[in-house]
Formats: sequence, C-alpha cells, structure tokens
Amino acid sequence: MSLLRLDEVTRSVRLPDDETLEILKGVTLDVEIGDHVSIVGRSGSGKSTLLNLLGLLDAPTSGSIWFDDRLTSELSGNARDRARARGADIGFIFQQFNLLGGRTALENVMTPMLYASGRQFWRRRQFATEMLERVGLGGRLNSMPEKLSGGEQQRVAIARALIRRPRLILADEPTGALDIETGASIMAILDDVAEVSGAALITITHDVNVAALARRHYRLDRGVLAPIDVSRVLSAAPEVGL
Amino acid sequence: MSSTKRQSPLAALVGSFSEAWAEVRIHRTRVLLSLIGVAVAVAAITSVVGLGAIVEQSVQESNESNGGRPATIGVSAYTQNGASFDAALLRTTLNSAVDRYKIRYHTSILSGQLSVQFVAGAALVNTTAIDVDYGVMHRVKIKEGSWFAEKDINRLAPALVVNRPFWALMGSPDLRTHPTVRILGSHPITAVIVGVRAVRDGDMPNMMMLMDAFRVAAEPASYAGQSQFEAWVPPPLAKRVTARLSAELAASVPSGVDVQVNRQDYAAFGADPIGPVRIAVGAVAALVLFLGALGLVNISLVTVRQRIREIGIRRSFGATAGRVFFAVMMESVVATAAAGVVGVGVAVAVVENPWVQEKLSRGVTDLPSFPIGAALFGLAAATLVGALAGLLPAIAAVRFKVIDAIRY
Ligand SMILES: Nc1ncnc2c1ncn2[C@@H]1O[C@H](COP(=O)(O)OP(=O)(O)O)[C@@H](O)[C@H]1O
Ligand SMILES: [Mg+2]
Repeated sequence: MSLLRLDEVTRSVRLPDDETLEILKGVTLDVEIGDHVSIVGRSGSGKSTLLNLLGLLDAPTSGSIWFDDRLTSELSGNARDRARARGADIGFIFQQFNLLGGRTALENVMTPMLYASGRQFWRRRQFATEMLERVGLGGRLNSMPEKLSGGEQQRVAIARALIRRPRLILADEPTGALDIETGASIMAILDDVAEVSGAALITITHDVNVAALARRHYRLDRGVLAPIDVSRVLSAAPEVGL
Repeated sequence: MSSTKRQSPLAALVGSFSEAWAEVRIHRTRVLLSLIGVAVAVAAITSVVGLGAIVEQSVQESNESNGGRPATIGVSAYTQNGASFDAALLRTTLNSAVDRYKIRYHTSILSGQLSVQFVAGAALVNTTAIDVDYGVMHRVKIKEGSWFAEKDINRLAPALVVNRPFWALMGSPDLRTHPTVRILGSHPITAVIVGVRAVRDGDMPNMMMLMDAFRVAAEPASYAGQSQFEAWVPPPLAKRVTARLSAELAASVPSGVDVQVNRQDYAAFGADPIGPVRIAVGAVAALVLFLGALGLVNISLVTVRQRIREIGIRRSFGATAGRVFFAVMMESVVATAAAGVVGVGVAVAVVENPWVQEKLSRGVTDLPSFPIGAALFGLAAATLVGALAGLLPAIAAVRFKVIDAIRY
C-alpha cells in the first residue's frame, strides 16, 4: 500500500525582483510502508524544499501529494489536521539535530508526546525513557543537549522522531554534522529502529555512502528527481568507505 | 491516518502548562527581570486598591455612623415658635406606623448633658439617649464590652456605652469588673459602663444610654422640645414609607407643630460620596498596569523572535498553530500570575504596615483587615495583563512559516 505519493509536484517561490524561481520541477515519487528511500543531491538542488513537502510542512505550487491515499490538499485546507497528521505519522530528523536547548534529553524526547492524546500523552515520560534506552542513552536521560556529543545529540533526535511511532521518518542530512564513523553508527541505529517499527524512511543526503544504505535511490538535480543506480556511483568512488 | 485523534482538552491544558513552565524555567533570568516589573506594578495596584477600599470603608462607616445605613428615615417635630409640645400623640402615631409597615429597626433619639462624677471631679457630659436598635442602624463599633441589649432596658443601674475619653477619665477599667459612675442631678443614679465605642471622636467624653434611663436621669424640661425618631427600612421602600409617614404624622400633631420626614443616610444624597476617590484610584491603577503590560509585551516580543526556530521544531512535531499560540500566551500568564502573588504579598505588607494604618485611620475607626477583594483584584489584574501581554507575541509566534523557522 502506498503511504506517500507525489505526482508531478512543483514548488516555486517568488523572488524579490518579481521573477519566479522553480525549485522543484515535476517530482513524482511513491513511498510504501516499510520502504527505505534515499535522495541525494548537491547543495541548492532543492532537497530541503522537497523535505518540507514530504513532511506536510509546506504545500506544492502544483501537482498532488497523497498521504495514506488522501490528497493532502484536502488536509492543507485545514492546517490543524495537517499538524495532527504530522504529529502522529511523521518523525523528523534534522542535520543540525534541532534539539530544544535548555531541556534535558528526556524532555526533548517527550516533546512530540505533548501533542498526543490518551496514553501517549499521559505516559510520555515512561515512553521517552524506553526510547532513549533503545538508542543507548538510558544513562543520559537528564543531560542537556549542550553536554552531549554530536552523535549523542542525533541519537536523542532519533528517539524524539520515533517516540510517537510514526509511519514515515524524514531524515534531512542525518549524518551531515557528524564524522564518518559516528555517522555510520547513527545510520545503523536509524535503520534498525525504522525496521523494527515498520516505518518508511526517506533519507536526504549528499553522501552517497549514506544513500547506499537505502533500498531505492534517487537523485535530485536542479529540482528534477530521478532514480539512480547507487552501486555504480559507489564503485566510481571506491575511496569513500563506510 | 490512524492516530490523528483530537487531543483531549485536559491533555492540551496540561501539555501547554508544562511547556510554559519549562519555558519560564529555562529563561529564568529574563523572566525574573520582567516579573520584577509586574510584581511592582501589581503591588502598586493592589496597595492602591486596598488602601482605597479601606478609605472607602472608613468614609462609609463615618457616614453611616452619622446618618445611619441606607435607607434611614429621620422624623423630627418642632414648634414654629420654639415652645415645647406634648410628643405623646406623635409617639402613638409612630408606634402604630412601625407596626403597620413592619419596620424592624427604629429608635428615638434625645440628647442632652448630664453631670457625671469622675475621680477628678464632676463634669458635664454630652449624652445621647437612644433605643437598642440604634447600634445596628448606625453600625456602632465597640472597642471594649458590648452594645446595649434588650435586657439592659430593665436594669436597676442603667447601662452606659461611653467613648474612649470617657473611659480614659475613669482610668480605663476592665469592663468585666462592671465599673460604675455616679450621674448627678435631682435624682442621682449609679450607672454601669457596658461598652466603650471604638470611634475616635475627639477628646471630649460623651456617652449613650437607653431612652428610659435617660428620662429618669435627665430633667424633663431639658428634652421637652425635642422629638426625633429614626426608622431603618429597605431602600426600595424608603420613598413610599417616607411619604406615608409624612402624611400620617402631619395629621396627628396639633397645629403649630411641624413634622419633617426625610431620608438622611448618605446614599440618599444622590452622588456617590466616594466617587472621586474611586476614579482617582482607578486612573492610577490603570496607568501602572498599562506600563507594566507594555514592558512585558516588549520583552516577550523579543524572545519570541529568538524562539522562532524552536517553535518551528515544535510545529514539525505536531503542535498546531492554536497550541503554539496558547503555549506562548500561557508562559506570559504563568509568569505574571506568579508575579501577581508576590505583588499582592508586598501590597498586604504595605497596607498592613502600622505607620500606613496610622496615617489612614484619620480618627475614624479601627481599620478593617486587608480587603480580600483587593487581593483578588491584584491577582486577576496580573493574570489579565499576562494574557494581554502574551497576545501580541502569541500572534507573532503563529504568523511565520514553519519551513522558514527551521531553516533559520
Ligand atoms: N523561500 C525561498 N526564497 C528564495 N529562494 C529559495 C527559497 N527556498 C529555497 N530557495 C532556493 O532554492 C534552492 C533550493 O533550496 P533548498 O531546498 O534549501 O536546497 P538544498 O536543501 O538542497 O540545499 C536554493 O537555491 C535556495 O536558495
Ligand atoms: Mg538543505
């Protein structure tokens, strides 16, 4: 079953000099439950813009996006519904971790639960503790983000993205701010938790080695999304190991 | 979408509250700074309102002490040529009117001077003769002992309620020892002090006694020309009772005697006697509040701009715009409510300060304790200011695009 489907999606912005910049051009993509998709692209190719569309944070200029076989333009009519869908079904991981400063690891992981209902809301502390234990941070529950290493911060971010058991995980350059070794271990954790929870994972990266971990591979080039054969890319750059 | 259920209002409230609390905790310093401002404002407002309420109360008390509580109808009769007249007829008519109109509280009033034997010598003392109801009708405050009771009417030694100077002249005896004074005259009698009035009405001794006792102690000629009576009725009935009494009494007295019946309590004189005080107090309070709110708005606007990224992150995790709005608002309210509590505490300390109370009392009465209404008003004002000050930043917090917020 299709979880997320993009059909001929474009996204343009109006520049100050009144010209229109088309950032995304006719993007078509189909992501199924449990899928793992990577999207590589150079800086400025439109990756973040695409991510915002995938995450229901933004609406396309033209074309359609279906989530759960529901046209999101119907959702987009109601910002509140979109926010709820986002909270319940989508987990974000950002390049810059984007942890909330001044809050402990535990409080950061509990944050998405503040917008949940029922058990998820009332037992958020317990769920968050378990989630942090799963990413190997059971001993750092009360540490502030500033006191954690980059890898640890990203693990907190992963725990936070997964706490509500989303069906779609969107990772924007998840290893971009980490050294190669830490990046590899983060990807392993991400892969593992996504696998266990059966969520679809879309990794957006400029690092082909990270991209190679996915099952299906795309390249975004100047706003155009196209499938690629990642093994060829990898063999062309053998010096970059994981 | 499986679990996109609406969050329960309770969860939303608890969630917002915990977000707001975390926010306040993290920005301790700036919150503390802005809160000092709010606390000062609230302290000022609450003090002003509290002091105002006390002044208002004392003004009202002194009015009631003079003119009676609303609505007090006064009846007085006098002869045009100053000659004395027999008031018995008037009294009969009054008594029947009291029964017919079911007037529960009423009193006759006579006044005169009686000679009282103190340790230092005899002195003429201004004396007011009244009925028991007078105490309720004029809200007489008692400092020691008690006001007259029905049983005092039949006492052998008449009861007296005296003022502070009178009591001081006697050496401020303990009223439980039933201190007595000798009232001189053609029929000297011994009277028992049962109460000391709280009112500070100057240095001259004066006393009150019940009507029957006064008639025994005073020379009849000294009060023959007086006829004064008061009735306390519900304000809505005042007009009708006044008109009826006026007609009935005029018909019952002999010719040559004029009867005046009119309302004499302060509420009858149209304008609110403390209106100007109220307006001044209100204006100052509003100004202080406004300045406090302005400072808060400024601070919270600045911090919201700093927090746009954070708010964007929250929204990416499912916070609705409404929720973000409420949370930002809540921070402001949580903080100002806390400051309000501090401010009210300071205000209580100021208003209850003995020096301030001394200045305020203006010889009127024993001051009441800090008005609860003022404390509640202070808290409500703080909360309202928090909500108003949170409004602008809250609008700012939902007015930007999530994408821009996280990119930034
Ligand atoms: N709101 C915007 N206004 C103007 N230009 C934008 C806006 N958003 C993105 N762009 C431009 O679109 C291009 C793609 O941006 P982005 O999606 O951030 O790419 P990436 O994440 O791959 O680096 C960039 O050239 C960027 O400057
Ligand atoms: Mg980017």
